[in-house]
Amino acid sequence: MTEKKMTNRNQIKQEKTYLRFDIGQRWEHMLLFLSATTLLLTGLPQKYRELSWSQYLLSTPERVEMIRQIHHIAAIILTIEAVYHLVRAIYLLSRRKLSAELFPTGQDIKDAGQMIQYLLFMRKDKPKFGRYNFEQKVTYWFVFFGFSLMIISGFIIWFPVAFTQFFPGGIIPAAKLMHSTEAMVAAVFILIWHFYHVHFERLNLSIFTGRLSEKEMREFHARELERLERKPSDNNQTGEKK
Amino acid sequence: MRQRNSLIIAGLTMLIIAIGLSVSTASASAPTSPATVQKPSQPQIGDNAACLSCHQNPSFSVKLGAQQTEVFQLFVDPEEYSHSVHGEQGLACIECHVGFEPGMGHGKTFGSRREATLRLNETCGQCHKKQSDQEKDSVHAAARSVGKLEAAICTDCHSSHNIQRVTDPNTGLVLQTTRIWIPTTCQKCHSEIYEKYRNSVHGAALTDGNNPDVPTCIDCHGVHIIENPTTSTFRLSSPQLCAKCHTDSNRMKKYGISTEVMNTYVADFHGTTVTIFEQTSPSEATNKPVCYDCHGIHDISFVNDPQKGIQVKENLLKKCQKCHPDANTNFPTAWLSHYIPSPEKYPIVYYINLFYKFLIPGVLVPMGILVVMDLGRMIINRFTKQKDEHDEHKKTAKPNPTDEEANYD
Repeated sequence: MTEKKMTNRNQIKQEKTYLRFDIGQRWEHMLLFLSATTLLLTGLPQKYRELSWSQYLLSTPERVEMIRQIHHIAAIILTIEAVYHLVRAIYLLSRRKLSAELFPTGQDIKDAGQMIQYLLFMRKDKPKFGRYNFEQKVTYWFVFFGFSLMIISGFIIWFPVAFTQFFPGGIIPAAKLMHSTEAMVAAVFILIWHFYHVHFERLNLSIFTGRLSEKEMREFHARELERLERKPSDNNQTGEKK
Repeated sequence: MRQRNSLIIAGLTMLIIAIGLSVSTASASAPTSPATVQKPSQPQIGDNAACLSCHQNPSFSVKLGAQQTEVFQLFVDPEEYSHSVHGEQGLACIECHVGFEPGMGHGKTFGSRREATLRLNETCGQCHKKQSDQEKDSVHAAARSVGKLEAAICTDCHSSHNIQRVTDPNTGLVLQTTRIWIPTTCQKCHSEIYEKYRNSVHGAALTDGNNPDVPTCIDCHGVHIIENPTTSTFRLSSPQLCAKCHTDSNRMKKYGISTEVMNTYVADFHGTTVTIFEQTSPSEATNKPVCYDCHGIHDISFVNDPQKGIQVKENLLKKCQKCHPDANTNFPTAWLSHYIPSPEKYPIVYYINLFYKFLIPGVLVPMGILVVMDLGRMIINRFTKQKDEHDEHKKTAKPNPTDEEANYD
């Protein structure tokens, strides 16, 4: 066998992959991941001020000021990312350039029911999921609403004087309570639900590589694969309708 | 010890005799000359009677200072002394006035009356060492050390020959009869602050009602070891002073005042920061408010006082605006006013809390169950798959080529 043939063979042996996230979406996830992690790490010591490790971190007024500034910078990055994400999605959806597959449908409830049957050994196979399965939709919308609440309540407690120009003072303690409680809910949710599905159930790196293999598609997004295979020209596309 | 006791008894007897004599002679011919007293009892040098032979003369005085302008009264009222705590126990003059030498001036020279007082006060520590040592760390001692000699020393507060009992000897607590005099004692120098205190909720209750529950000056500022109240350390620790009484349910229930004031303060932004800094960096300056920034320092009033009470939104707003100058009338309700949120008080906060009480278990528990079930099914699948493959392997006894190999080889 010649060397050229070897290379060809290796190329041929490469598994077929499907584009799942375009470069913009991958960058968005990266920004979201970095800013949210920073926010969590700088928020926790502020929430649990009575614990010794947090007192060690926040032992002087200067340190409190510093950690708050880091929190605020990360908050601005997250807010810009969230606004960009929302505006882009609304714009593309209104022009019918983005599929609405992320919105929950009746199929998701059926899928969830079948998945529970599968987990209870009442079915042999997992249900055939579409482009986004119900678990991924739950993740997206939980983060979507959770982060929205945190962004709004965060700005309220950041600028209490400005907000009370128009709203009653009671929103300040309400926002404070909501901000820190919602943060914990979101953090635990991501750590258990999201991390389980992308690290333990399978190592799903598509948010970094952008692609899913045919095997992964067959196992986790069978309905989407069938759809794509029916229309071969749509392979390697983002799924956004042209 | 026995010697000392006998000395005291001797002194006391002498004193009684001396007083008796002085009273009887005073009525006959006042002022008495030293000679008339000395004759009948023949007092020894060091006896109180011997001292009084000169010092009970009301006009007995010397002139001090370079220009001999300062009059130093040397008169001691024996009647007054006998009713003082030291007089009752029969302390001899020379037990405080140490280094006594016979003759004019007793071998001592003073530039001024204050100098004499300051030097004499050193002897208080002979018996009251603890109090004397504490005083050395006080703000008054610090002021004297930088030349402010008028700063208070023992006798300025306790008086000299008319010292009264301050504490109950059995309980060690300050007697209520004495407590009422504490603010007026401090008033001698701190008259402006006294006026504020006198009209405050605490001061009025003490002065007008002899209320034993309200604080006097020393309950907050301490006694003897009086701290500088303008330091950051004092500021950061000041909520603890208020909390001492305001978290005491026995004391507070009489007046219907909540004992949650400290907890609710600590639970808020400001209180959290202040209490943490108090523990981690007690000398750091912070602009976060402590109790007295809103309630006042010496002029603390009832919260429902129409003029000054901070239950009135406009009054509280003024306090908020000290740090938040742009705040408007909505702003003060951002502070929960020491209330614990309930359906009546701060319902939004209450219902958000209630919502999360249901949301957290409502979301996290099903989520956890699904994850555990998924993991379980996955592990079982893997195990059974391995078994299947193993069985397959036995049956065929030869490895299957993979799809790719089958296609391209």
